[in-house]
Amino acid sequence: MAKKTYDLLFKLLLIGDSGVGKTCVLFRFSDDAFNTTFISTIGIDFKIKTVELQGKKIKLQIWDTAGQERFHTITTSYYRGAMGIMLVYDITNAKSFENISKWLRNIDEHANEDVERMLLGNKCDMEDKRIVPKAKGEQIAKEHGIRFFETSAKANISIEKAFLTLAEDILRKTPVKEPNSENVDISTGGGVTGWKTKCCS
Amino acid sequence: MGDRQDSSPMQAFDKDALDLTVEDVYDISYVIGRDLLKVNTGAREFSDLQFKIVRVLEMFEMMVNKYNLSLEELRMERDNLKSELERVASEESNVTSHNNHQNIGPNKLIVDLKDPNRPRFTMQELKEVLQERNQLKAQLLVAQEELQLYKSGVLGSEQNMVEVNLENPSPSEPPPRIPSENNKEKSTIQKL
Repeated sequence: MAKKTYDLLFKLLLIGDSGVGKTCVLFRFSDDAFNTTFISTIGIDFKIKTVELQGKKIKLQIWDTAGQERFHTITTSYYRGAMGIMLVYDITNAKSFENISKWLRNIDEHANEDVERMLLGNKCDMEDKRIVPKAKGEQIAKEHGIRFFETSAKANISIEKAFLTLAEDILRKTPVKEPNSENVDISTGGGVTGWKTKCCS
Repeated sequence: MGDRQDSSPMQAFDKDALDLTVEDVYDISYVIGRDLLKVNTGAREFSDLQFKIVRVLEMFEMMVNKYNLSLEELRMERDNLKSELERVASEESNVTSHNNHQNIGPNKLIVDLKDPNRPRFTMQELKEVLQERNQLKAQLLVAQEELQLYKSGVLGSEQNMVEVNLENPSPSEPPPRIPSENNKEKSTIQKL
């Protein structure tokens, strides 16, 4: 049906050190584009992308956080509503990898207990500047029982796969109620409800 | 010291009085003592004189000693004052350069009120502005979607119309599932 924009709404969150490429990862996924100029995210931003999984249209509302410490109080207040969190580090930046445990602690402190987590080692196109071996990323992900991808927003490597996998993992945990549109509408805060119920007869 | 033993004790006599050390006094005493021995007559007057000379030399030794000690003390005091002055001076420059931090205590920041780019909003204000921005962005997206929907909705009802026409050969009986809001389209369908 043309009028049915989505069946489910998933809220995702991107976290990680400043400059690891969270915004670029999201920009690649939402707009299939890449920008080399570094503009530090102010506080919090978001993008929307609708994907189709298992015959369901899933609207992904993806929150992009500022990695800088000074925005910490703002960004952590967005953890609670997230159903999936992508923790991004930069394979050319050892510090961003070391800080993974700090970010995981933040998730434990501020996010829902059943939040789906994923680890991304970004900038994997920069093989000559690599400092963090892929195996180390795999290992830490395994230790925490979370999925891991090495990605490149610039070269468009595994970006879509990562988002779709995370969405699939959330979908798997989502109870299958047939008229699940009701749940979705509440979380979008109205606006969509009118025409949506109208068309889903 | 070795140098002194090599050189003649007589040299002490040529020195400036203020440059004399206790060693010079000993040299002088040695020379005078040696010369006295040469002229010792064994008379009582001689031993009286020798006693006085020895006494004078002892006083001399004490004075030179005292003078040198005072001189050394003054030197030390001068050096101490010098280093104290350097310390205070460097502290002074530290205080002026880190004046802000030292006076207002730790974890405080001084803002230059003349800087047009100075921080002046609170985290709470930023939070509210960002929330508003994101709400407006969400509303814009919803509006865009609705617009898209409206556009494709018109197309959709036309498709419906085709379907309807295929399903129901009679266009005068539109299926009940078409919502009432689509009256306009319905009428066009009916016209068609």
